[in-house]
Amino acid sequence: MKRRSFLKNTSLSAASVITAPYILPSGRLFAATGERIVNHVVLVLFAGGIRQQESVEQQYVATQNGNSTTGNLMRNMLSGAAPTSDLDALGNEGLWDPIQTNSLASQGTLFQEVIYQEGPPGHYNGHAVALTGNYYPNNINLNENPTNPTIFELYRKHNDPVQSALNAWWISEGLGPYPSLNYSQDPLYGSGYGANYLRPASILGGAGQDQLGNAQTYQPDDVSRISKIKAMLDNNFDQSGNGLPGIDNTPENRELIKSFLTNTIQDVQNGIFDLATPNGSNVRTGDLINISSAWTVMKEFAPELTVINTTNLDVCHGDFSQYLNFLHRADYGVGWLWDKIQGPEGAAAGLKDDTIMICVPEHGRNWVTNNNTDSNGMRALDHTAEDISQLPDYNLPYTNSRRIFTLIVGPEGKVVPNQVLGSPGNPVGESIDIAPTIANILGFDDNIPSGMLPGRVLDEAFV
Amino acid sequence: MKKQITLLATALIFILSACKKETTYVNQPVVDNYIYAVDGEEVYQSNIEKDKEKSPEQYLSILYTNLFKTTIEQSDLLQLAEVRRAIGDKQMVDELILNDFVNGTDIELPTDSEMRADIEQFVENTYIRFFLRKPTPYEIYELKDAIESDAGLSPELIYQGFALSNEYKFY
Repeated sequence: MKRRSFLKNTSLSAASVITAPYILPSGRLFAATGERIVNHVVLVLFAGGIRQQESVEQQYVATQNGNSTTGNLMRNMLSGAAPTSDLDALGNEGLWDPIQTNSLASQGTLFQEVIYQEGPPGHYNGHAVALTGNYYPNNINLNENPTNPTIFELYRKHNDPVQSALNAWWISEGLGPYPSLNYSQDPLYGSGYGANYLRPASILGGAGQDQLGNAQTYQPDDVSRISKIKAMLDNNFDQSGNGLPGIDNTPENRELIKSFLTNTIQDVQNGIFDLATPNGSNVRTGDLINISSAWTVMKEFAPELTVINTTNLDVCHGDFSQYLNFLHRADYGVGWLWDKIQGPEGAAAGLKDDTIMICVPEHGRNWVTNNNTDSNGMRALDHTAEDISQLPDYNLPYTNSRRIFTLIVGPEGKVVPNQVLGSPGNPVGESIDIAPTIANILGFDDNIPSGMLPGRVLDEAFV
Repeated sequence: MKKQITLLATALIFILSACKKETTYVNQPVVDNYIYAVDGEEVYQSNIEKDKEKSPEQYLSILYTNLFKTTIEQSDLLQLAEVRRAIGDKQMVDELILNDFVNGTDIELPTDSEMRADIEQFVENTYIRFFLRKPTPYEIYELKDAIESDAGLSPELIYQGFALSNEYKFY
């Protein structure tokens, strides 16, 4: 072949590769994935029912009768000075120094007044709204998966290239209804597109230590021997055990996760588990254990989409002081997590400067206290649909339980720093905006069929 | 002619008995029970009779009984139920639980040399132990061949394969 012909043919081949639509192994054509802002998203559902009064408004105990001390309990997430008196609520360890030198709000964008517009202010409803991007006007059955696809399913179905469940994790502090949030009932989505679900307190704590702490680890040769025997037996039986209501990892990924869980259980047994607390602290809240465990998952697998939650703050139904205490500890956990992501381990995992973290409560709490009083004489708070026309000194057009905030932090040049949006009575953003915002960050929002996500992208946060 | 009638009658008896619906379970002890010393167990004629899937609790408690030859404590069963809820991939968590079971000190597991001393007996015992039925001649041949051709295939790995098989998830 003459040199000119060779160059011409080579150029044509290269051009055809560039211009031809990409064809998946399944034969499906797809449009190019939208531009991503970053490759990793962490959604922290800062849940349990947090009021604006104790979070962004930094009123500390000033809403309690006879108290006037204000101050910022969330110095990792929010800018503002800590309270300097009436610190009994914070227990023996009192205030912790923040791990973030500059608050996350100063490093990113704080939507300080966001609205949870519709549906009962219940934990499961609030979680489902954030994860599906759709409101549920009535209480959702706690024993059922949500009806709309979760962000995990949308990501795994519509992201190009298609990603395995190893890239999507839902890590919850408690059990209750939360295991049902890793996939929906939607027949076009469902468990085949679900996230890996993990409740670390059960796996790394008592039950897991007792029942999995002695688990044998098998080498690949032995794993293949077991698979061979199973396949041989399955060939002689015409039914398959497909009734298990859960997601499926690939056999290879399943082995990776099994090995990871076994090793992490051993780390806990050996006292080398990296816990989100300051040196010398004896505080071990469920929220901090959950955040710490989420980090072990993130540094091991560097998932593109991780969702974690806190729930301890719901103690506010009966103990306002402990609610303040847990709020302060959970804030430290979030600061610790961001510190890890941006630190050497995060860099090694490819997360540093390539991750956006979104923190949002699932709903707020009431304006008026209930009849429970804690040991410090503080009155407790529920989260219900209060009648605002009957509330004393309340002048917003929506209930206190519908008031939440959203904090978005990310790499320089990607997320607008030191920006505060919204004000009481003038919310910017809704709960249903979280899912489309995640889809936009990861670049698959344009692939989602129109009408599935009624919210909008919180694009004010991005450069 | 007489011989033909006898053959025809034999064939009819065979066909009629073959068409008769098999009883789902043998509720009374049968010869197999005595041979394999599993008194009180229900023994299947074949795997075709198994059409109902075990619940997770049934699966775990039966697995424990099969491996340890004793009933699982209620507190353990509750912990196992919690562990199963705490992981989204149910197949994976079952494998983890099984990996823990087979590493237990009280597990009743033949040694590799015991297995290889009488492979056919091991195969039959294993089928009875896990599937509550005798293996077919082909199944005996198939597993025996796998054991003979792989020195690394231990009773523990074979038990894993049985416990994870589809047939074991049904009753």
